[in-house]
Amino acid sequence: MSLTFLFRTLTRDVAKVSSLNLQHVQSLHIGSQLLAAEKALLMKLRKSTGYTFINCKKALEKFDNDITQAETWLHEQAQKEGWSKANKLEGRKAKEGLVGLFVRDKAAVLVEVNCETDFVARNEKFQQLVKDVAFATMAHHNNKTQSQTGYVKTSLAADELNKLSVGEGPSLADQLALTIGRLGENMSLKRAVTVGIPAEWHIGSYVHGGVSGQTEVAMGRYGALVVFQGGKQGEQETLGRKLGQHIVGEAPVSLGNMDDLPCGESETRLLPQTFLGDPSRTVAQFLRGQQARVLDFVRFQCGETASDAAE
Amino acid sequence: MAALVGLRACFSGLQLSSPSLLHSSFKLCAVPLSRRTFAAEAKKTYSREKPHVNIGTIGHVDHGKTTLTAAITKVLADAGGASFKKYEEIDNAPEEKARGITINASHVEYTTANRHYAHTDCPGHADYVKNMITGTAQMDGCILVVAATDGQMPQTREHLLLAKQIGVEHVVVFINKADAVEDKEMLELVEIEIRELLTEFGYDGDNTPVIIGSALCALENKQPELGVNAVMKLLEVVDDYVPLPKRELEKPFLLPIEGVYSIPGRGTVVTGTMERGIIKKADECEFVGHSRSCKSVVTGIEMFHKSLDRAEAGDNLGALVRGLKREDVRRGMVMCKPGSILPHQKVKAQVYVLSKEEGGRHKPFVSNFMPVMFSLTWDMACKITLPEDKEMVMPGEDTSLMLTLRQPMVLEKGQRFTLRDGNRTIGTGLVTDIMTMTDDDVSSNWG
Repeated sequence: MSLTFLFRTLTRDVAKVSSLNLQHVQSLHIGSQLLAAEKALLMKLRKSTGYTFINCKKALEKFDNDITQAETWLHEQAQKEGWSKANKLEGRKAKEGLVGLFVRDKAAVLVEVNCETDFVARNEKFQQLVKDVAFATMAHHNNKTQSQTGYVKTSLAADELNKLSVGEGPSLADQLALTIGRLGENMSLKRAVTVGIPAEWHIGSYVHGGVSGQTEVAMGRYGALVVFQGGKQGEQETLGRKLGQHIVGEAPVSLGNMDDLPCGESETRLLPQTFLGDPSRTVAQFLRGQQARVLDFVRFQCGETASDAAE
Repeated sequence: MAALVGLRACFSGLQLSSPSLLHSSFKLCAVPLSRRTFAAEAKKTYSREKPHVNIGTIGHVDHGKTTLTAAITKVLADAGGASFKKYEEIDNAPEEKARGITINASHVEYTTANRHYAHTDCPGHADYVKNMITGTAQMDGCILVVAATDGQMPQTREHLLLAKQIGVEHVVVFINKADAVEDKEMLELVEIEIRELLTEFGYDGDNTPVIIGSALCALENKQPELGVNAVMKLLEVVDDYVPLPKRELEKPFLLPIEGVYSIPGRGTVVTGTMERGIIKKADECEFVGHSRSCKSVVTGIEMFHKSLDRAEAGDNLGALVRGLKREDVRRGMVMCKPGSILPHQKVKAQVYVLSKEEGGRHKPFVSNFMPVMFSLTWDMACKITLPEDKEMVMPGEDTSLMLTLRQPMVLEKGQRFTLRDGNRTIGTGLVTDIMTMTDDDVSSNWG
């Protein structure tokens, strides 16, 4: 009995080796600790879940090669590991990342999520996290402002963001830990701003340095929201975009007044600044031409607050 | 005598087994790396310029790129080919950080028996692209570091994508932290997986060298199998697998003209620094640029008031040319091998725009912005056209864009240039493609 079993595993072993195209792998370990069938399972589990080989192997051993049970266990484990990884990596500088922008008719959110390298910022899993944060913040905004109709602007700091959750699902802090466990870099939910406006106002937005392939939530290194009134019918969207672009580009700090006189290159008030799209006019002059009025704006630059803190 | 022949046979046998490349004079010392260690002392006085290769490490932040770099310098320091750099020295480079220096890649140099390497380790995607554009560290090959404990990470895809994007054709894999994995089968799986990924990204996954080892062991002098020997093996493989970049001397000659003088009784002399190639007396040459072109013959070459028969890339020289008047050529034109280079008016380029801290503009720019382009010894006004999906370029960013010059100038793929606006350098770039002028470009208004 045991002989036939040995023989069977051996033949499978041979078949596996040739099918995996292993000829260039110098197999020094002929007395292998892993049987080929297990190896194939291990590869399969690793491929489908993306968890580390070591964990996949542990899971398979634990459930006696039952791949479905192993997978469930891995998912449960991932949360725990994410937290321990998150604790371990805490304190490492994370100033790369993405700014996410989500606009829905009369409301908009701008969020910033940080990570350590821009490689990770380009990864889908990280972008999914940014998306979740944007949705959760939007949901939070909707809950809070159902009864209100006026202009509402809320800033959320990291700890408030961590408590939010996507629908009925886990909290954002859990999501974050999970992503940290997966990507192995320190990350943080930096900040968020939500804006809700009355019916006759408009929100313009612009995201710069964008990531292609994300449709619902625009993501990039810079983001701006601008709240304005007026504007020519049907052109409000372009107008908002132009203004957003100007804000990202010229980085104004305050709004200023329509009648302010510009004071040179270093002007930090939005309205007296030279307009990016037309250097012959100031923003105020441009707005007059469009019969529009800017009421408020928000600008996020990825990593800007992190560097401020460092200085 | 017979003994001598026997010895030589011995040597040639050794050559076959080693990564023998290069000059024939080198072959004698091309014994396997493990032997080089012992012979290093004797060879120290024998100095010759070794071919230079740029190499870099890529990989996840925790997979030990810096430890590997430190281990390489340590192993080679023992062999006399490097000075040992501690992990902290490579990792932090505090003075560079403090000055907010533009290139935040750490640079380490070392020498193997065959080559001299500059080793780059950049923290992020943007840094690599920036280095590629500014030319501080074009990489001829790179070492992908993967920890055996984790295997490849999701972002390893992004790392390879980058390597492809910046034109690295030769990747060597180092599976690190092998000492932390008890089960040797796992190493194999990690290797299989990385080979698959390499193939997916268009690299030769089956034949890419994969070295398994532990940089930490090499640093701490433990388990020589995984430590020192693995690092040695890695260097040997890099020596072997990453080919030498084509050297400037082998290319057709190019001399950007810095000055033109007329010497009574002799004729016209052009001066400049040879960009590449070799030039000899009686070579035919062509002058191109500033909407002009003419052919001539080099009748004399002088360097430091001494006449010489041939000049090489890097030489600062004056060349006497036959039958040209001083007015026929001017600064900004080039003297080149006839037909080897052409003037162009419109090019596609990859540009890095300096941030305010680096002395660039603090404002973004949009299409139709008109800076002055400087390259070789010429400068020319040009107009920027951004790609369709891009509306503006912020300082500190890299982007691809189109440049249209007011007049055709000598430009070719791979040529570097600087963009300036007023008295400020705003960016630096690399020509990636030559475009043809359309009617719109021709009729466009130059203000």
